[in-house]
Amino acid sequence: MATRIVTVDRDTKPGVGPILLGLWITLRNMLQTLFQRKAATIQYPEEKRPVSSRYRGVHILTVRQDGSPKCVACYMCATACPAECIYIEAGERPEKSIEKYPTRFEIDLLRCVYCGFCVDACPEEAIIMSRENNLVGTTRAELVIDRDRLMARNPIAEHGVGYRPEEHDVRRPVRVAALERLQKEHGIVPGMPKR
Amino acid sequence: MPKFTIDGKELEVAPGTTVIQAATEAGIDIPHFCWHPDLPVDGNCRMCLVEVEKAPKLQIACNTLVSEGMVVHTQSPKAAEAHRTTLEMLLINHPIDCPVCDQAGECYLQDQYMDHGLHDSKVEIEHKVRKRKVANLGPIMLDAERCVLCSRCLRFEREVTGTNLLEFKNRGNVTEITTFDGGPITHEYSGNLADVCPVGALLSHDFRFKMRVWFLEQAESVCGGCSTGCNVWIDTRDGEVQRIRPRRNVEVNKSWICDPGRMLYKQFHVPERISGARARRGANWEGVALEAALDELHAKLQEAGAATAFLASPQASNEDLFAFKALAESVGGKLDFRVGNPQDRLHERIDAVLQRADRNPNTQGCLDLGVGRDGVDAILAACRAGSVKALVLQGPELLRAAEAQDALAKVPFVAVMATHEEPALAAAHLVLPAALWVEQDGTYTNYQRRVQRAKKAVPPPGDAKPRFELALGLLRRRGHALAAAVSARDLFTTLAKSVPGYANLDYKALGFGGRALATAPGAAAASAPAGA
Repeated sequence: MATRIVTVDRDTKPGVGPILLGLWITLRNMLQTLFQRKAATIQYPEEKRPVSSRYRGVHILTVRQDGSPKCVACYMCATACPAECIYIEAGERPEKSIEKYPTRFEIDLLRCVYCGFCVDACPEEAIIMSRENNLVGTTRAELVIDRDRLMARNPIAEHGVGYRPEEHDVRRPVRVAALERLQKEHGIVPGMPKR
Repeated sequence: MPKFTIDGKELEVAPGTTVIQAATEAGIDIPHFCWHPDLPVDGNCRMCLVEVEKAPKLQIACNTLVSEGMVVHTQSPKAAEAHRTTLEMLLINHPIDCPVCDQAGECYLQDQYMDHGLHDSKVEIEHKVRKRKVANLGPIMLDAERCVLCSRCLRFEREVTGTNLLEFKNRGNVTEITTFDGGPITHEYSGNLADVCPVGALLSHDFRFKMRVWFLEQAESVCGGCSTGCNVWIDTRDGEVQRIRPRRNVEVNKSWICDPGRMLYKQFHVPERISGARARRGANWEGVALEAALDELHAKLQEAGAATAFLASPQASNEDLFAFKALAESVGGKLDFRVGNPQDRLHERIDAVLQRADRNPNTQGCLDLGVGRDGVDAILAACRAGSVKALVLQGPELLRAAEAQDALAKVPFVAVMATHEEPALAAAHLVLPAALWVEQDGTYTNYQRRVQRAKKAVPPPGDAKPRFELALGLLRRRGHALAAAVSARDLFTTLAKSVPGYANLDYKALGFGGRALATAPGAAAASAPAGA
């Protein structure tokens, strides 16, 4: 990219003109805000800006119909997490078809960087994100959010859900890349052999 | 010595070598399930098909002997297609359990799917054949759906333990492995079934759901459970041992270890571990800093001089023993290790596979280093006569011995290096915290007189130090030349110069496979029959 050079003439004498222009802009904004309701700012806690449906806010652990966690404690999210903020302990479920569930599932929101990798990594759509971005606490321990609190976040009325797999599936491109590598490096095209 | 070509590499191998053995040694990976280097060849999985020039059909690498002038291709289009289609067949009824399966991360199916498969399944998940899941076989969990019917576990039962507990039942699509009447696995080598299983069909109950394997870090080590000295991997995470796995060594344990050895890790991180020194003040114990404890012991040794007795421990590494012996020689006084005569049981087997009656990893090392010098009985007699003013124990073995209690009561100062709290320690006056075998570098000499190296896998708790460091601390206070050594490696290099049979050995020469020494003249009589 070519660099554009701007020459600034510092010798120009400052006059009253630019000052008046600046004052006029300020005055115009004030008058517009007062009489035309054209403010650039909002009344934040009462008013909120619309947030994208893919916003990456505080996590939600989804639940099955019987209220148990959908999570099977596969540790994929903990593996993918670049901030290492997810702690899981696994236990055994009575159903043999599911087998495993998290007895502990904690996210340290103070360490979390809200990258959404955990959502991408989850094979069960058990962890998704909400649009909530204003969770506050008075102690550090309060912001280490445990399994039950993560599950209790399911009926989120105010903010709505954010980043979740059906919105944006990254797994397909990963597999396509693996297939391309296989073909390039080994000349193998998976699928039915050609007859 | 037939010469052959594999993937353009010319190799010369011993007669009777199979293609897969030759390829593995040459670092060429041939996909396989049923072949295991320490089990007889079965050839049932058909995964290791390779193209042999001039042969009409593809051959299985595991059961094809190398012959003169053979030309093998493992990656040719024909072979690659065979790998892919075989894998697709094996995966037809395989459940989508990877997220809940403990084998994930060390699963042959996963690895080979990524390398050779990447196909879409043609069988819908609801059409897959369902089999038994979560069947409890005692120490082992069986999931028949995940099984690829490679028969490794059957051959292990038949050839290694001779117990034949597992068998196939049914035919065709519904074949599955089972124990008779679904009973538990009862022998002491059950953990190996989970290890030989290339997929998640047989899993260890103990390790189940505990940890995903890709979080683990591995360290080469030698089991401290008995005089066999099985080579093991210590798998750790965040300074805690999570499991112990066999590490292949054809000369010692092949690919197996016993369950008691596998469970040793359960004693590593327990509240009973001693993490700080303590000294007896009258009737009470007082915690003291390690350096202060060593100062106190040093003062006692100065005072007692030749009226000291030293008892080494066959639990300690060669480096520990060498430093301890140097200390004993520097102070003067008696030295031995044979509490309960472990050397008599050094070669005695307690089963037909691996375990030996001597539960110490380094009795042979004690013999080699000449630590058995004056006799335990002589030391006890001297104690009873009141001529021992200080007794230094490298392990708590003597404190546990009932016949030594009256003698111990006569000794005014007993110092012991210990790893775990136990009632017997009440007879001591000073307790020094010692590291366990997984918490320090060291070498151990097994019953075959094979010197093997173990690497530090986790840090010792609190103030605990390897026994050689405790001895070096005392030697430093005495101004001894050996105190210049800073590591187990240095000590071993020094040790090799003076111990007969260990000449020219160092950590590099030992590697992690160990080095067999000529059987010592003195031990020859005892070792001949039992060692075979």
